Amino acid sequence: MIETYRKWGRVVRYENGVTIRVEEAGEARDDVFSARPAQTRVSVPHTSEDSILSKLVPKVDAYVAQTLLSVRPLVVERLIVSSGIAHHEANGVSWTEESQRVHLSLIKPPLRVLIDLASFDIAIIETIAAALARVGKEREALSRIRLAPNVSAALLPSLIGELAMEQAGGGLDGKGQPIATRAVTSDPPPNWYRPGYAVRPVRAWLNLRALPFGSIDASAPLALALLAPVDGTTLRVLCIDGDDVFPATVDATRIAAVSRDKPTWYPYAAGSFGAEMML
Amino acid sequence: MIASSTFAIASRDELWLHGALSESRLMHGEARQRGRTIDATDARDEDLVRACEDAIDNARSAIAALGDARIRLVARAMREDGVESAETTITISIGGVSVVTTPANAVADYSLLRSLAGSTPTMSLGSLPIVWQNGSAAVLLHEAIGHAHEHDAAPVPWPTWLSVDAPLVTRRETFRDVPLPRMKHLIATQTGAPFVLPKERIEVQLIAGGAYDPVTDIVTIHVAVSSAGPFTIRRKRAEIAAALSGAVGEPIRYPGVICSREGQEIYVASHAPVMITDALT
Repeated sequence: MIETYRKWGRVVRYENGVTIRVEEAGEARDDVFSARPAQTRVSVPHTSEDSILSKLVPKVDAYVAQTLLSVRPLVVERLIVSSGIAHHEANGVSWTEESQRVHLSLIKPPLRVLIDLASFDIAIIETIAAALARVGKEREALSRIRLAPNVSAALLPSLIGELAMEQAGGGLDGKGQPIATRAVTSDPPPNWYRPGYAVRPVRAWLNLRALPFGSIDASAPLALALLAPVDGTTLRVLCIDGDDVFPATVDATRIAAVSRDKPTWYPYAAGSFGAEMML
Repeated sequence: MIASSTFAIASRDELWLHGALSESRLMHGEARQRGRTIDATDARDEDLVRACEDAIDNARSAIAALGDARIRLVARAMREDGVESAETTITISIGGVSVVTTPANAVADYSLLRSLAGSTPTMSLGSLPIVWQNGSAAVLLHEAIGHAHEHDAAPVPWPTWLSVDAPLVTRRETFRDVPLPRMKHLIATQTGAPFVLPKERIEVQLIAGGAYDPVTDIVTIHVAVSSAGPFTIRRKRAEIAAALSGAVGEPIRYPGVICSREGQEIYVASHAPVMITDALT
C-alpha cells in the first residue's frame, strides 16, 4: 500500500530583523518518494487560522525584544525565533503539534556561542550572555567537568551505542505510529523521523534520553554553552568555574555520571533530552 | 531593506539513482513583503509551474545517457516584481565526488567527473605551491572575496593583476526564506599576472566545499580531488591574498558552486583562470 502523508502548517518566524509568516500545505508519497503542495487542504480547524496568527505574532515579537535586550552589549550574529502549529495526517491517523524554536548565535570575537532551544526560555540566554561577556583565557586539560543540559543534549546523538540511553515514549512519529519508550540499541530504530513533508522520512531514534547513573560533583567546572557544533565527541565549550569564565575543548568520550534531575527536550537531531552530565 | 515586493517561485527537483527516479518534489509559493514583514503562502502560479516542468524535461534529456551516477536535477522559475528568471542545475555525483552543471554542459562535466573520480593521488600531501585547475580558484575566491564582501569584512590587499566580478543581488531559495544579499556570480580575471609553473606542486582539480567565518576571518576549503588526494585548507583571508602568486589564461567555468548561507542553497556560476598559490596546507 502506498502511504500518503499530508501536512498543513502555519508558522511565524523572526529571522535577523525580518518577520515572515508562512502558511502552506503539502503531501508526500513514500513509494518513489514524491512531494508537492497539497491540492486539497487537509482537514484543519480553518476557523481558528486567524486566531493562530494573532496569538503567535505577539509571542514571537515579545520574546525577540526580550532576547535582544538581555544579551547587551554582545553582538547578535544570528537570531531566529519561530512559533508554529502543524496538523498531520498519515495512515488514517491525524494529529496536531505546536512548536517553538530559538537559534541564537552570540559573538565576542573570536568566540561564538550557539544556543538552540525548544521553548521561549530567557533565563538560559541571560546566563550564557552574562558569562560570555566576561570570558577570560582558554583553559586546557580539564579532567573533570560538568555539562549543562543544553550541552549534553547536543552531545547525546554522538553517544548512541556508547552510553546507556532510551527513546522517550509519547506522541507520534513521522508516519503516525506511536513513539514507545525503548532502549536505544544498534538495531534499526522502530520509528520514523520526518522533519518536513518534502523530506523523505528515515528511521531514527527519537527523543533520546540518557539513563541516570553515578553522582555529579557540583564543585566541578560547568560547560554551559557550545562554542561550535559538536564534532563527534569533541566539544568546544564556554565554561564557568567559580568566578572564572573560559573557553575549552573537551573530549566527551567517557561519561562519568548522568543527573537524575528532570531532563529538558532540545531540538538536536531527531530530539534529545538534556540532563546535567559529568565527564 | 526592501519597502515592498512580490516574489513568486515554482521549482521541481528530482533525484535519479543509477538511471531510476528515486525522489521528485514540486514546490511553489508566493511571498509578499512590506517593510520588515513577509507573508508567504504556497500559492500556485501556473506559468511558473509550466516553465519548471518544461525545464525539467530538458534536464532529463540531458542526463539520459549518464546512467551510473547519482544525479539531482533542480529547475527553478521565479518572478520578482514582474521580472521573470529561471535556472536549471544538475548535480552529478560519482564515488562521493560531485560537480554542479547545466543541461548544456552536463555531458562534458560528467566525463570530467568520471575521469577525476577514478583518479588516485600521485604524491603525498606536503607544503607545496598549489595550482588551481578547472576554474577551482573561483571557489577559493568565492569564500575569500565573495562571502567576505557579503559580511562587509575589512579589505585585504589582493594582487593588482586580479579582478573579481562578484556582484551582490537580493536572492532567496524559496518563498519561505528571507531574501539576502548574495553573489549573482563570480568571475575572476587576470591581467598581466606572473605565471611560473613550480616544478613541485599540488594540482587541485575539484573542491568538495568551502566556508568563510566572518568572526575569525578564516577561509576553509575542502579539496576533493588533487594530485595529493583530498585535503583541507584553513587560512586567514589575508594569508590567502598574500599567497596568490600567479595566474594564466582566460577564466574557466568551474563545474559547480552551490552556495549555502543561512540554510539557503543557491547556485552561483563561478569562473577563474588557472591560478597558483604558495603553500597553504
